Amino acid sequence: MKRLSLIILLSLLLTGCSSGADPVSGEAPEGAGDNGPAGYVFENGGVAIAMHGEVEPILQALGDAMEYFEAESCAFQGMEKIFTYSGFELHTYEMEGVDFVAALVFLDDSVSTKEGVYLFSGLEDILSAYGDGYTKTNDMYSYDLDGSRLSFLIENDEVTSIEYLAVTE
Amino acid sequence: MFKKRFLTAVAVILIMTGTLYLLERLLMPKHVSAIVEGSLIEEYYKEEKGHDVIFVGDCEVYESFSPITLWEHYGITSYIRGSAQQLIWQSYYLLEETLKYEKPEVVVFNVLAMQYDQPQKEAYNRMALDGMRMSLSKFKSIRASMIEDEKFIEYLFPLLRYHSRWSELTAEDLRYMFRKGKLFHNGYYMRVDVKPVETVPRGRKLADYQFGKNAYYYLDRMVELCKESDIELVLIKVPSLYPYWYDEWEAQMEDYAQRHGLMYINFLELIEEVGIDFAQDTYDAGLHLNVTGAEKMSVYFGKVLQNTFGLEDRRNEVDLSRAWQQKADFYYRMKEDQYRELEEYGYLKSLGARPPESTAVD
Repeated sequence: MKRLSLIILLSLLLTGCSSGADPVSGEAPEGAGDNGPAGYVFENGGVAIAMHGEVEPILQALGDAMEYFEAESCAFQGMEKIFTYSGFELHTYEMEGVDFVAALVFLDDSVSTKEGVYLFSGLEDILSAYGDGYTKTNDMYSYDLDGSRLSFLIENDEVTSIEYLAVTE
Repeated sequence: MFKKRFLTAVAVILIMTGTLYLLERLLMPKHVSAIVEGSLIEEYYKEEKGHDVIFVGDCEVYESFSPITLWEHYGITSYIRGSAQQLIWQSYYLLEETLKYEKPEVVVFNVLAMQYDQPQKEAYNRMALDGMRMSLSKFKSIRASMIEDEKFIEYLFPLLRYHSRWSELTAEDLRYMFRKGKLFHNGYYMRVDVKPVETVPRGRKLADYQFGKNAYYYLDRMVELCKESDIELVLIKVPSLYPYWYDEWEAQMEDYAQRHGLMYINFLELIEEVGIDFAQDTYDAGLHLNVTGAEKMSVYFGKVLQNTFGLEDRRNEVDLSRAWQQKADFYYRMKEDQYRELEEYGYLKSLGARPPESTAVD
């Protein structure tokens, strides 16, 4: 009887109670690898870039980057890469050997959001494009949609920063 | 009859406890040939204590100072209690725990961790917490560190978290089940490889540059703890070029140090003076220093420590010198091995680094 209870206990321990992959070797966050455009999507030259989208096909469509930077996260928690294209930077994160879109940052006013907001637009342009469902941190206006966040920083009545971010739960 | 039952119950409990202990030893990640940083914290307990200087902080600190160089140049004994992305409350509780074992003259804290006001990622929590011995400090650190889905009990009994590793077990898990060799040099993680800085990403604009209340709360506690223990606290920012260190952050740290009468050194402003050459002294394009960079930093900082706090040169203590000679032998042996490996493979295969071609742009 006692032997049986021991076996049951060990079986439960080994197969049952929780919790997923080894936390240190890493596991993909929710939304990683969803290739279909979801949430806020940036478009450039006919290429749609969605947060958490797989990077490889996007890079192939965009062509060679002007600049490239890569940095291994501490203790091999994945490679962070930054590809600089005309007007924007594409940031990636890595999970299980595959790169996904982590963020997209505007560098100048040669690019705009799909809804028509540029750097140096005004707050009224943001509100008319995205409405008032934002969250505000100091002068940063952020809109969340399906695993993505679109943020605008207003300084001296002008948009001085536009970023798309992949949100992980 | 009662005695027999009692003895049987005790035997069953002992067998169950023993089995669970063995399973836990088997299933916990060993961090010996990959993600070795996960072994940093536990190595401290095997060391002789009585260090002059204790460093606490994240990867920037365990990659930027070589205790062997501090010893060889100044006769200063030191230990680095750092882990990957170590958050400030983890540094605080590690320091609190360290002070139960020893009382250094100086504690050095790297301030990059001020950027995080809340727990971030389980993987990094595990690297900071799993290696800590059971103590009240560990319990408090777990409480402060857990992200939403984590459970306190899984830190107390890691088997509950790692049980699913049974399908990933390798020979390494058996080999290092009870004993691991030394991997570090008083908390210093050696890397001899070189990857020069080519570009440094610009800092993205932030909504708020103010360090958070929680981060300041633990910095205040660290100041208080050192004051109560009559220990000099030094704040530093090591010269890593990325993640970006904002002017607004710098101003806050300068102001804080001034208000609390602390020494604060931003090594980003001293790159030339220290002699750091980012074409040679980094192994990952400016995020972390390699061994040549760490040795330069130690030569510079050792002088500051000695001149400012009058730390004694202890190289004339016979037993201590003998112990540090052994450490130095291990240090130079590892250095030679790493250079040999680099020559052979072009990268540090044994540390889980990637071959250079796998990280190039297509």
